[in-house]
Amino acid sequence: MTPDDEMLMAFADGELDALTAKRVERAIAENPELAARVEAHRRLRSELAAAFPLVAGPDPLEAVIRSAPAPLVRRRPPIWRQPWLQAAAMAACLAIGVMVGTGWQSGPIATDRSGALVASGTLARALDNQLASEAGETRIVVSFRNSQGSYCRVFAGTATDGIACRADGQWRLVRTGAGSAATRSDYRQAGSADMAMLEAAQGMMAGDRLDAAQEASARRDGWEPERR
Amino acid sequence: MAGFDDELVGLLPRLRRFARALARDAADADDLCQAAVEKALGARDQWQPGTRMDSWMYRIMRNTWIDRTRARSRAAQTFVHEDAGLAIGDAGDRAIEARVELGRVERAMAQLPDEQREAVALVLVEGMAYKEAAELLDLPMGTLTSRLVRGRQALLAVLGEAA
Repeated sequence: MTPDDEMLMAFADGELDALTAKRVERAIAENPELAARVEAHRRLRSELAAAFPLVAGPDPLEAVIRSAPAPLVRRRPPIWRQPWLQAAAMAACLAIGVMVGTGWQSGPIATDRSGALVASGTLARALDNQLASEAGETRIVVSFRNSQGSYCRVFAGTATDGIACRADGQWRLVRTGAGSAATRSDYRQAGSADMAMLEAAQGMMAGDRLDAAQEASARRDGWEPERR
Repeated sequence: MAGFDDELVGLLPRLRRFARALARDAADADDLCQAAVEKALGARDQWQPGTRMDSWMYRIMRNTWIDRTRARSRAAQTFVHEDAGLAIGDAGDRAIEARVELGRVERAMAQLPDEQREAVALVLVEGMAYKEAAELLDLPMGTLTSRLVRGRQALLAVLGEAA
Protein backbone atom coordinates (compact mmCIF):
# COMPACT_ATOMS: atom_id res chain seq x y z
CA MET A 1 0.00 0.00 0.00
CA THR A 2 1.25 3.49 -0.83
CA PRO A 3 -0.65 5.92 1.38
CA ASP A 4 -1.60 9.25 -0.22
CA ASP A 5 -0.83 12.59 1.35
CA GLU A 6 -4.22 12.82 3.02
CA MET A 7 -3.58 9.54 4.78
CA LEU A 8 -0.07 10.58 5.81
CA MET A 9 -1.48 13.79 7.23
CA ALA A 10 -4.14 11.91 9.18
CA PHE A 11 -1.41 9.56 10.41
CA ALA A 12 0.74 12.47 11.55
CA ASP A 13 -2.29 13.85 13.40
CA GLY A 14 -3.10 10.52 15.05
CA GLU A 15 -6.49 10.47 13.34
CA LEU A 16 -6.30 7.01 11.74
CA ASP A 17 -7.87 3.91 13.21
CA ALA A 18 -5.38 1.44 14.66
CA LEU A 19 -5.44 -0.95 11.71
CA THR A 20 -4.88 1.71 9.03
CA ALA A 21 -2.24 3.37 11.20
CA LYS A 22 -0.33 0.08 11.35
CA ARG A 23 -0.42 -0.24 7.58
CA VAL A 24 0.80 3.31 7.12
CA GLU A 25 3.55 2.67 9.67
CA ARG A 26 4.76 -0.29 7.65
CA ALA A 27 4.69 1.71 4.42
CA ILE A 28 6.68 4.49 6.11
CA ALA A 29 9.28 2.08 7.42
CA GLU A 30 10.01 0.98 3.86
CA ASN A 31 9.96 4.39 2.26
CA PRO A 32 11.97 7.30 3.70
CA GLU A 33 10.16 9.75 1.43
CA LEU A 34 6.88 8.95 3.16
CA ALA A 35 8.52 9.29 6.55
CA ALA A 36 9.83 12.71 5.58
CA ARG A 37 6.37 13.73 4.49
CA VAL A 38 4.87 12.71 7.84
CA GLU A 39 7.62 14.64 9.58
CA ALA A 40 6.83 17.70 7.43
CA HIS A 41 3.18 17.53 8.48
CA ARG A 42 4.18 17.32 12.14
CA ARG A 43 6.61 20.18 11.82
CA LEU A 44 4.00 22.36 10.16
CA ARG A 45 1.77 21.81 13.15
CA SER A 46 4.41 23.03 15.61
CA GLU A 47 5.27 25.94 13.36
CA LEU A 48 1.65 27.06 13.31
CA ALA A 49 1.35 26.63 17.05
CA ALA A 50 4.41 28.82 17.51
CA ALA A 51 3.19 31.44 15.03
CA PHE A 52 -0.21 31.76 16.68
CA PRO A 53 0.53 31.59 20.40
CA LEU A 54 -2.04 32.02 23.13
CA VAL A 55 -1.44 35.38 24.70
CA ALA A 56 -2.72 35.64 28.24
CA GLY A 57 -3.13 38.90 30.09
CA PRO A 58 -5.72 41.64 30.45
CA ASP A 59 -8.00 41.97 27.45
CA PRO A 60 -9.95 45.15 26.64
CA LEU A 61 -12.95 43.00 25.72
CA GLU A 62 -13.24 41.83 29.31
CA ALA A 63 -14.76 45.19 30.25
CA VAL A 64 -17.20 44.92 27.35
CA ILE A 65 -18.32 41.50 28.55
CA ARG A 66 -18.62 42.42 32.22
CA SER A 67 -20.55 45.61 31.58
CA ALA A 68 -23.09 43.97 29.26
CA PRO A 69 -26.59 43.81 30.77
CA ALA A 70 -27.56 40.31 31.89
CA PRO A 71 -30.99 39.60 30.43
CA LEU A 72 -31.80 36.33 32.16
CA VAL A 73 -30.81 34.62 35.35
CA ARG A 74 -30.36 30.90 35.03
CA ARG A 75 -28.91 28.31 37.34
CA ARG A 76 -25.90 26.43 36.13
CA PRO A 77 -24.17 23.46 37.72
CA PRO A 78 -21.02 24.55 39.60
CA ILE A 79 -17.93 24.74 37.48
CA TRP A 80 -16.36 21.52 38.76
CA ARG A 81 -19.42 19.63 37.55
CA GLN A 82 -18.88 20.82 33.99
CA PRO A 83 -18.14 17.82 31.76
CA TRP A 84 -15.16 19.48 30.04
CA LEU A 85 -13.44 20.17 33.34
CA GLN A 86 -13.87 16.58 34.45
CA ALA A 87 -12.36 15.44 31.14
CA ALA A 88 -9.46 17.82 31.64
CA ALA A 89 -8.86 16.53 35.15
CA MET A 90 -8.86 12.99 33.87
CA ALA A 91 -6.38 13.89 31.14
CA ALA A 92 -4.12 15.50 33.75
CA CYS A 93 -4.18 12.31 35.85
CA LEU A 94 -3.25 10.26 32.79
CA ALA A 95 -0.32 12.56 32.06
CA ILE A 96 1.01 12.16 35.60
CA GLY A 97 0.63 8.41 35.35
CA VAL A 98 2.75 8.31 32.21
CA MET A 99 5.50 10.39 33.79
CA VAL A 100 5.74 8.32 36.92
CA GLY A 101 5.60 5.16 34.86
CA THR A 102 8.65 6.08 32.81
CA GLY A 103 10.79 6.51 35.91
CA TRP A 104 12.81 9.61 36.61
CA GLN A 105 16.27 8.21 37.12
CA SER A 106 16.55 6.00 34.07
CA GLY A 107 16.65 7.40 30.55
CA PRO A 108 16.33 11.02 29.59
CA ILE A 109 15.92 12.61 33.02
CA ALA A 110 18.23 12.65 36.03
CA THR A 111 18.62 14.75 39.13
CA ASP A 112 21.63 16.93 39.89
CA ARG A 113 23.29 17.40 43.29
CA SER A 114 20.73 19.95 44.39
CA GLY A 115 17.91 17.57 43.49
CA ALA A 116 16.77 19.58 40.47
CA LEU A 117 15.66 17.64 37.39
CA VAL A 118 18.12 17.82 34.52
CA ALA A 119 18.27 16.28 31.06
CA SER A 120 20.59 13.33 30.52
CA GLY A 121 21.36 10.76 27.84
CA THR A 122 19.63 11.13 24.51
CA LEU A 123 17.55 14.08 25.68
CA ALA A 124 20.64 16.03 26.77
CA ARG A 125 22.33 15.23 23.47
CA ALA A 126 19.30 16.40 21.51
CA LEU A 127 19.15 19.62 23.51
CA ASP A 128 22.89 20.17 22.98
CA ASN A 129 23.07 19.40 19.31
CA GLN A 130 19.75 19.46 17.55
CA LEU A 131 18.44 22.57 15.83
CA ALA A 132 14.71 23.25 15.79
CA SER A 133 14.53 22.46 12.10
CA GLU A 134 16.13 19.02 12.42
CA ALA A 135 14.29 15.76 12.77
CA GLY A 136 15.09 13.33 15.55
CA GLU A 137 13.58 11.09 18.13
CA THR A 138 13.13 14.20 20.23
CA ARG A 139 11.75 17.21 18.43
CA ILE A 140 12.94 20.69 19.37
CA VAL A 141 9.89 22.88 19.06
CA VAL A 142 11.37 26.30 19.72
CA SER A 143 14.41 27.94 21.36
CA PHE A 144 14.43 31.24 23.21
CA ARG A 145 16.11 33.21 26.00
CA ASN A 146 14.49 33.73 29.35
CA SER A 147 14.53 36.89 31.43
CA GLN A 148 17.87 35.88 32.99
CA GLY A 149 19.38 35.65 29.52
CA SER A 150 19.78 31.85 29.68
CA TYR A 151 18.95 29.76 26.66
CA CYS A 152 15.84 27.61 26.92
CA ARG A 153 14.38 25.05 24.53
CA VAL A 154 10.92 23.51 24.26
CA PHE A 155 11.18 19.84 23.33
CA ALA A 156 8.77 17.03 22.50
CA GLY A 157 9.87 13.44 22.97
CA THR A 158 8.32 10.02 23.19
CA ALA A 159 8.35 9.84 26.98
CA THR A 160 8.44 13.48 27.98
CA ASP A 161 7.65 16.92 26.65
CA GLY A 162 9.06 19.92 28.39
CA ILE A 163 11.04 23.09 28.64
CA ALA A 164 14.73 22.95 29.51
CA CYS A 165 16.85 25.97 30.44
CA ARG A 166 20.62 26.12 30.56
CA ALA A 167 22.00 26.39 34.11
CA ASP A 168 25.47 25.46 35.42
CA GLY A 169 26.41 23.68 32.22
CA GLN A 170 23.34 21.46 32.25
CA TRP A 171 19.82 21.52 30.89
CA ARG A 172 17.55 22.04 33.87
CA LEU A 173 13.98 20.93 33.26
CA VAL A 174 11.73 23.76 34.28
CA ARG A 175 8.59 22.10 33.03
CA THR A 176 7.66 18.61 31.93
CA GLY A 177 4.61 16.79 30.65
CA ALA A 178 3.70 13.47 29.07
CA GLY A 179 5.45 12.83 25.77
CA SER A 180 3.64 13.69 22.57
CA ALA A 181 6.08 12.82 19.80
CA ALA A 182 6.18 9.59 17.80
CA THR A 183 3.53 7.01 18.54
CA ARG A 184 0.47 8.82 19.67
CA SER A 185 -2.99 7.38 19.61
CA ASP A 186 -5.04 10.28 20.89
CA TYR A 187 -4.10 13.34 18.94
CA ARG A 188 -6.11 15.88 20.87
CA GLN A 189 -4.41 15.31 24.16
CA ALA A 190 -1.00 15.43 22.55
CA GLY A 191 -1.81 18.63 20.70
CA SER A 192 -2.97 20.39 23.82
CA ALA A 193 0.21 19.28 25.61
CA ASP A 194 2.27 20.99 22.89
CA MET A 195 0.10 24.06 23.25
CA ALA A 196 0.47 24.12 27.01
CA MET A 197 4.26 24.01 26.68
CA LEU A 198 4.24 26.79 24.14
CA GLU A 199 2.03 28.91 26.33
CA ALA A 200 4.38 28.38 29.25
CA ALA A 201 7.34 29.22 27.00
CA GLN A 202 5.60 32.38 25.84
CA GLY A 203 5.41 33.49 29.46
CA MET A 204 9.13 32.89 30.07
CA MET A 205 10.41 34.41 26.86
CA ALA A 206 12.40 37.64 26.87
CA GLY A 207 12.23 38.90 23.30
CA ASP A 208 11.46 36.74 20.31
CA ARG A 209 12.09 33.07 19.67
CA LEU A 210 15.56 32.42 18.24
CA ASP A 211 15.72 32.23 14.47
CA ALA A 212 17.78 29.54 12.77
CA ALA A 213 20.96 31.64 12.66
CA GLN A 214 20.74 32.67 16.33
CA GLU A 215 20.11 29.10 17.31
CA ALA A 216 23.11 27.83 15.36
CA SER A 217 25.33 30.47 16.93
CA ALA A 218 24.06 29.66 20.42
CA ARG A 219 24.91 26.01 19.80
CA ARG A 220 28.40 27.00 18.66
CA ASP A 221 28.88 28.87 21.94
CA GLY A 222 27.81 25.82 23.91
CA TRP A 223 24.56 27.52 24.95
CA GLU A 224 26.41 29.91 27.23
CA PRO A 225 25.17 33.48 27.01
CA GLU A 226 27.88 35.80 25.59
CA ARG A 227 29.88 37.68 28.21
CA ARG A 228 29.77 41.43 28.20
CA MET B 1 -25.23 35.32 35.16
CA ALA B 2 -21.66 35.70 36.37
CA GLY B 3 -20.82 32.20 35.09
CA PHE B 4 -21.43 33.21 31.50
CA ASP B 5 -19.22 36.29 31.81
CA ASP B 6 -16.40 34.40 33.51
CA GLU B 7 -16.44 31.61 31.01
CA LEU B 8 -16.49 34.00 28.06
CA VAL B 9 -13.64 36.07 29.55
CA GLY B 10 -11.72 32.83 30.06
CA LEU B 11 -12.13 32.01 26.38
CA LEU B 12 -10.76 35.35 25.19
CA PRO B 13 -7.15 34.23 24.65
CA ARG B 14 -8.31 31.34 22.47
CA LEU B 15 -10.75 33.55 20.60
CA ARG B 16 -7.98 36.07 19.96
CA ARG B 17 -5.80 33.32 18.58
CA PHE B 18 -8.55 31.92 16.36
CA ALA B 19 -9.30 35.43 15.06
CA ARG B 20 -5.60 35.95 14.28
CA ALA B 21 -5.55 32.74 12.29
CA LEU B 22 -8.68 33.66 10.31
CA ALA B 23 -8.24 37.37 9.71
CA ARG B 24 -5.74 38.84 7.32
CA ASP B 25 -4.07 41.22 9.72
CA ALA B 26 -4.00 42.22 13.38
CA ALA B 27 -6.48 45.09 13.10
CA ASP B 28 -8.94 42.89 11.25
CA ALA B 29 -8.53 40.22 13.94
CA ASP B 30 -9.32 42.73 16.69
CA ASP B 31 -12.45 43.89 14.88
CA LEU B 32 -13.54 40.31 14.27
CA CYS B 33 -13.07 39.39 17.91
CA GLN B 34 -15.02 42.37 19.13
CA ALA B 35 -17.87 41.72 16.67
CA ALA B 36 -18.07 38.05 17.69
CA VAL B 37 -18.11 38.86 21.41
CA GLU B 38 -20.84 41.46 20.90
CA LYS B 39 -22.88 38.96 18.97
CA ALA B 40 -22.44 36.38 21.73
CA LEU B 41 -23.51 38.88 24.38
CA GLY B 42 -26.62 39.67 22.36
CA ALA B 43 -27.40 35.96 22.01
CA ARG B 44 -26.41 34.86 25.51
CA ASP B 45 -29.87 33.50 26.31
CA GLN B 46 -29.44 31.08 23.39
CA TRP B 47 -26.45 29.46 25.02
CA GLN B 48 -27.35 26.28 26.89
CA PRO B 49 -25.64 26.23 30.28
CA GLY B 50 -23.72 23.00 30.75
CA THR B 51 -22.83 22.73 27.06
CA ARG B 52 -19.47 23.68 25.67
CA MET B 53 -19.15 27.39 25.32
CA ASP B 54 -15.98 27.10 23.27
CA SER B 55 -17.72 25.31 20.39
CA TRP B 56 -20.59 27.78 20.57
CA MET B 57 -18.21 30.72 20.51
CA TYR B 58 -16.03 29.34 17.71
CA ARG B 59 -19.14 28.91 15.63
CA ILE B 60 -20.23 32.48 16.27
CA MET B 61 -16.81 33.80 15.38
CA ARG B 62 -16.59 31.74 12.22
CA ASN B 63 -20.04 32.91 11.07
CA THR B 64 -19.15 36.51 11.86
CA TRP B 65 -15.99 36.12 9.83
CA ILE B 66 -17.90 34.67 6.86
CA ASP B 67 -20.46 37.50 7.00
CA ARG B 68 -17.72 40.10 7.06
CA THR B 69 -15.81 38.46 4.23
CA ARG B 70 -18.93 38.31 2.09
CA ALA B 71 -19.89 41.89 2.86
CA ARG B 72 -16.41 42.97 1.88
CA SER B 73 -16.44 41.17 -1.44
CA ARG B 74 -19.90 42.63 -2.21
CA ALA B 75 -18.54 46.07 -1.46
CA ALA B 76 -15.60 45.34 -3.72
CA GLN B 77 -17.92 44.46 -6.57
CA THR B 78 -20.08 47.53 -6.07
CA PHE B 79 -17.42 50.21 -5.68
CA VAL B 80 -14.45 49.32 -7.69
CA HIS B 81 -12.62 52.56 -7.29
CA GLU B 82 -8.94 52.67 -6.59
CA ASP B 83 -8.85 52.90 -2.80
CA ALA B 84 -11.28 50.04 -2.25
CA GLY B 85 -9.42 47.93 -4.77
CA LEU B 86 -6.21 48.34 -2.83
CA ALA B 87 -7.64 47.08 0.41
CA ILE B 88 -9.63 44.22 -1.00
CA GLY B 89 -7.63 42.38 -3.64
CA ASP B 90 -7.21 38.73 -2.74
CA ALA B 91 -3.54 38.29 -1.92
CA GLY B 92 -2.56 40.83 -4.55
CA ASP B 93 0.96 42.20 -4.52
CA ARG B 94 -0.02 45.32 -2.63
CA ALA B 95 -1.87 43.39 0.03
CA ILE B 96 1.17 41.21 0.52
CA GLU B 97 3.41 44.25 0.77
CA ALA B 98 1.17 45.66 3.47
CA ARG B 99 1.65 42.45 5.39
CA VAL B 100 5.44 42.30 5.41
CA GLU B 101 5.42 42.99 9.12
CA LEU B 102 3.59 39.73 9.72
CA GLY B 103 5.58 36.58 10.33
CA ARG B 104 6.14 34.26 7.38
CA VAL B 105 3.73 31.67 8.73
CA GLU B 106 1.01 34.25 9.18
CA ARG B 107 1.63 35.53 5.68
CA ALA B 108 1.38 32.03 4.27
CA MET B 109 -1.89 31.49 6.15
CA ALA B 110 -3.31 34.75 4.79
CA GLN B 111 -2.78 33.50 1.25
CA LEU B 112 -4.91 30.39 1.71
CA PRO B 113 -8.46 30.34 0.34
CA ASP B 114 -10.96 30.96 3.14
CA GLU B 115 -12.32 27.41 3.22
CA GLN B 116 -8.84 25.96 3.64
CA ARG B 117 -7.81 28.59 6.14
CA GLU B 118 -10.68 27.86 8.51
CA ALA B 119 -9.95 24.13 8.40
CA VAL B 120 -6.24 24.72 9.12
CA ALA B 121 -7.06 27.24 11.86
CA LEU B 122 -9.39 24.86 13.69
CA VAL B 123 -7.23 21.75 13.45
CA LEU B 124 -3.65 23.00 13.47
CA VAL B 125 -3.93 26.22 15.44
CA GLU B 126 -6.82 25.41 17.79
CA GLY B 127 -5.95 21.73 18.05
CA MET B 128 -9.38 20.30 17.29
CA ALA B 129 -9.95 16.71 16.19
CA TYR B 130 -11.11 16.31 12.59
CA LYS B 131 -14.55 15.20 13.69
CA GLU B 132 -14.98 18.19 15.96
CA ALA B 133 -13.87 20.63 13.24
CA ALA B 134 -16.14 18.98 10.66
CA GLU B 135 -19.12 19.32 12.99
CA LEU B 136 -18.35 22.93 13.71
CA LEU B 137 -18.12 23.74 10.01
CA ASP B 138 -21.14 21.55 9.15
CA LEU B 139 -19.05 19.56 6.69
CA PRO B 140 -18.76 15.85 5.97
CA MET B 141 -15.46 14.42 7.23
CA GLY B 142 -14.20 13.80 3.70
CA THR B 143 -14.66 17.44 2.73
CA LEU B 144 -12.93 18.64 5.88
CA THR B 145 -9.92 16.38 5.37
CA SER B 146 -9.55 17.28 1.70
CA ARG B 147 -9.63 21.01 2.52
CA LEU B 148 -7.19 20.43 5.32
CA VAL B 149 -4.72 18.51 3.19
CA ARG B 150 -4.87 21.08 0.39
CA GLY B 151 -4.31 23.89 2.87
CA ARG B 152 -1.36 22.10 4.39
CA GLN B 153 0.18 21.29 1.02
CA ALA B 154 -0.04 24.96 0.11
CA LEU B 155 1.53 26.02 3.42
CA LEU B 156 4.33 23.47 3.11
CA ALA B 157 5.01 24.64 -0.42
CA VAL B 158 5.20 28.30 0.63
CA LEU B 159 7.16 27.73 3.82
CA GLY B 160 9.54 25.15 2.36
CA GLU B 161 9.53 21.75 3.95
CA ALA B 162 12.90 22.17 5.59
CA ALA B 163 11.97 25.35 7.44
